[in-house]
Amino acid sequence: MDNGLLVKDLRAGYPGRTVLAGVNCTARPGQITAVLGANGAGKSTLLRAVCGLLEAGGVCELDGESIGGLSTRERARRIAYLPQRAGGELALTGLEMALLGFSPVLGLLEQPGAAHTRQAQAMLERLEAGAFAHTDMRQLSEGQRQLVLLARTLVQPHRLLVLDEPDAPLDCRHRRVLLAALQADAAAGASVLLSSHDVNFSLRHAHRLLVLGQGRLLADLCPAEAAEQTLADALRAAFGPVELVRHRGSWLMIDGEEP
Amino acid sequence: MDGAKVARRLTVLALLFTGGAFAASLLVGRYPIDWAALADPASMDRRVFLTLRLPRACMGLAAGFGLGAAGSVYQTVLHNPLAAPDVIGVASGASVGAAAAILLGCGGALTALLAFGGGLLAVGAALAGAGLSRRRDILSIVLAGIAVNALAQAVLMLLKLAADPEKELAAIEFWTMGSLADMTPDKLAGALPWVAAGLAGLALLRRPVLLLGLPDDEARMLGVPVTGMRRAALALATLITGAVVSVTGLIAFVGLLAPHIAALLRRGGRAGLLLSGLTGAGLLLAADVLARSLAASEVPVSVVTSLLGAPFLFWLLCRKEAAHG
Repeated sequence: MDNGLLVKDLRAGYPGRTVLAGVNCTARPGQITAVLGANGAGKSTLLRAVCGLLEAGGVCELDGESIGGLSTRERARRIAYLPQRAGGELALTGLEMALLGFSPVLGLLEQPGAAHTRQAQAMLERLEAGAFAHTDMRQLSEGQRQLVLLARTLVQPHRLLVLDEPDAPLDCRHRRVLLAALQADAAAGASVLLSSHDVNFSLRHAHRLLVLGQGRLLADLCPAEAAEQTLADALRAAFGPVELVRHRGSWLMIDGEEP
Repeated sequence: MDGAKVARRLTVLALLFTGGAFAASLLVGRYPIDWAALADPASMDRRVFLTLRLPRACMGLAAGFGLGAAGSVYQTVLHNPLAAPDVIGVASGASVGAAAAILLGCGGALTALLAFGGGLLAVGAALAGAGLSRRRDILSIVLAGIAVNALAQAVLMLLKLAADPEKELAAIEFWTMGSLADMTPDKLAGALPWVAAGLAGLALLRRPVLLLGLPDDEARMLGVPVTGMRRAALALATLITGAVVSVTGLIAFVGLLAPHIAALLRRGGRAGLLLSGLTGAGLLLAADVLARSLAASEVPVSVVTSLLGAPFLFWLLCRKEAAHG
């Protein structure tokens, strides 16, 4: 039953601090769902709670199964997650890092084989990161590291892809590369859930927008179909005075504050 | 060049160096061995070779390999390039065990057993203390390790105060300097199974242990039960370290340096357990040969490893600063 992600009355936070207070949302297979919101709105908390990385109340199901009921290994075979500032300081080459994405399907004594290496190399090439296959991760720039980590996340088997601000360290060209990879992933049947501060990227390319503010879901809408006023109200509730303009059939958000 | 090819070539080179250091350890010593006489079962040469020279070289190999491999695990699992056995209290716990045994007048085998038990007890206390924390992360393990370490040091000082300055205090101090000099086949046989068991466990868990080097959320989402696996990896590394230091005394710097040297040789990419272990073995065997050859009387091997290790750390520091501009 491929229903994608279903979140009902999700309450989550950190010891002594509740961040999310009763969020309801979905992320459908074949779609890119973008989570928007100001700093501290609860975007990263939502993504971590969906992955089962925080103690949370409410319902989080993937294809009808409770995510909290999955073992760590079962969960890793269904959900691929890339947090912000990922990768740590491990002394690995780009290819070795990308190959870690196959860990959930490898046995205890099994090492990645030639087929895994080919897939990882192909994903690196697709993300224009093939040149970093034999470079130490610690010698790469933030953007280059991010491309390698995206390759690791995309080769990991998954039904749900969760990315926390994946575009943040990327330049304009590599945002397009990222978008193509995400669209291909969604087309292959995955549910893609990502957070971003690039509202215009989300307005143009996401199938659904989840707008968060102060731990609550302010809006859950389809940017291609929503009325201008509904969309503008949701974005103003999250970001303050902003304006929407039409550009090549998509909405663009501009800061409405007078300089 | 392909990363796997580099790793293979380096492993062969490290094997050759370690083999050479092992051979040198068999050849160098106060008693000149007539190799032709080894065939004679009654000869002194054969007895010296089998009861002193060979156990010493074998222990140097096992101890160096074990400390190097365990050091790489501590550094990966604790996300700390300066992590060494004492971060979570194993060395100071072992020192307390050994000091208590010396005060109680125990023999070599019992001293080794108490040192081993002291090391394991200290790490057990650190991991249990960390388990009481709500965070259950690396910081809580390191803080619990510092607390246990401080407690063990206080107990060690009390034991030293109670020790007879002429004999027992000197014996405690000598134990903490570390040496392969008094190695016997019995001591080797006592330590080797634990070292082998710990290494076998780490070899089995090498992929999840590598993933523990990532931030916790990422390791979890790649299928690793982080809290349990971190404890298992630390317990196995401690088993190795505890077994080694229980018979050799404290050996400084090998566990800290071997993974760094291995990573430098690898020039980017993962050094891994095998290369770190081989580097540790080569380093300790070479240091032990020097300890026997530098002066008229043998110096404790920890003195040599520290003399080699301290400048290396300075060099590493300067190199990193240069790399960061």
